[in-house]
Amino acid sequence: MAYSDRVIDHYNNPRNVGTLDKSSTEVGTGLVGAPECGDVMRLQIRVNPETQVIEEAKFKTFGCGSAIASSSLATEWIKGRKVEDALAIKNTDIVKELSLPPVKIHCSVLAEDAIRAAIGDWKKKNGVAETVESTAAAQ
Amino acid sequence: MLKVLDSAVPVACWSCAVAHNDATLFCPHCSKIQPPPGGDYFSVFGLVPHLDLDLSELEHEFHRLSRKLHPDRFARAADNEKQWSLADTALLNDAYRTLREPIHRTEYLLKLHGAAIGEEHSGKDRKDPSRVPADLLEEVFELNMQLEEMRAARKMGETDAELQASLEQAKRKFDGLMDEVDHDLRAQWKAWDEGDAGARAAAQKAMVALLDRRRYLNNLVRDVTETLGA
Repeated sequence: MAYSDRVIDHYNNPRNVGTLDKSSTEVGTGLVGAPECGDVMRLQIRVNPETQVIEEAKFKTFGCGSAIASSSLATEWIKGRKVEDALAIKNTDIVKELSLPPVKIHCSVLAEDAIRAAIGDWKKKNGVAETVESTAAAQ
Repeated sequence: MLKVLDSAVPVACWSCAVAHNDATLFCPHCSKIQPPPGGDYFSVFGLVPHLDLDLSELEHEFHRLSRKLHPDRFARAADNEKQWSLADTALLNDAYRTLREPIHRTEYLLKLHGAAIGEEHSGKDRKDPSRVPADLLEEVFELNMQLEEMRAARKMGETDAELQASLEQAKRKFDGLMDEVDHDLRAQWKAWDEGDAGARAAAQKAMVALLDRRRYLNNLVRDVTETLGA
């Protein structure tokens, strides 16, 4: 199976690889895994407490090219967005942008879960009321 | 290739015309070889689907049927019988390979009952949190970090004794966890084999989760072994 150019681009030049300080109250960490292929993905956000804007997003993914590309793209997209707007990102958006084939759709689901889990963690730390969706994803 | 015909459908023997259950390799009436039967791998061995198999019995039956089906015995038979001996032998080999291996057997039985296993799973029910072995993620992530560090160090021609020791310890731990999973899986076999419909459904769910966990662990152990052995 051939990867799309967008996947290869993100795989070769992943954006925003790295780590944020997990203990900071401004940082939310989402750690998710895909039992289908054994991938594991960590996505972190740093939220400006005044504006609720995600100012920094970092990820580290162990997995296939599509999983790395999906998380790389996810960090690119959520940076500069307000927390609530970041939740609007759907895995289908990632599938479209990266032209993922059906067998790799779970990679995009993983990236969406990671965004939700990171935001859920941040909300929990900051006592923000959770939306129904993010409660489910953060557990 | 698994055929999904209903094994309970009676078919008439091509030779003696007596109706028999389609799952059989030889006509129970005239003993003539039959075309590859429908039904599942268990029925090839005359078994009902179950998980706690007697492996020595299975092996014994495999050898007995292999001998009976051997193409050499059909050297002077009609063309269609020759072909069936080849096709039946291929089916028997596939069935044996699948059933004798505990994980393959479990996955096979679960698939027969409609469970989505491994890569074939489309991600649609990913919202079911029971599918993600959450307690493992943290450790899996840490271990992957260490493995990456180890490989980077190797590339630079360095060896990090501390890291090596930590990886070896991790490997032992994950080996142990794998044994636990296998033990739990065996318990679920019994629950499935002996249970009613409700107990079976519960056991199936538990086994799918255990197999997910096992796949995770298996990949880790493989990666650690590769990195340590490099």
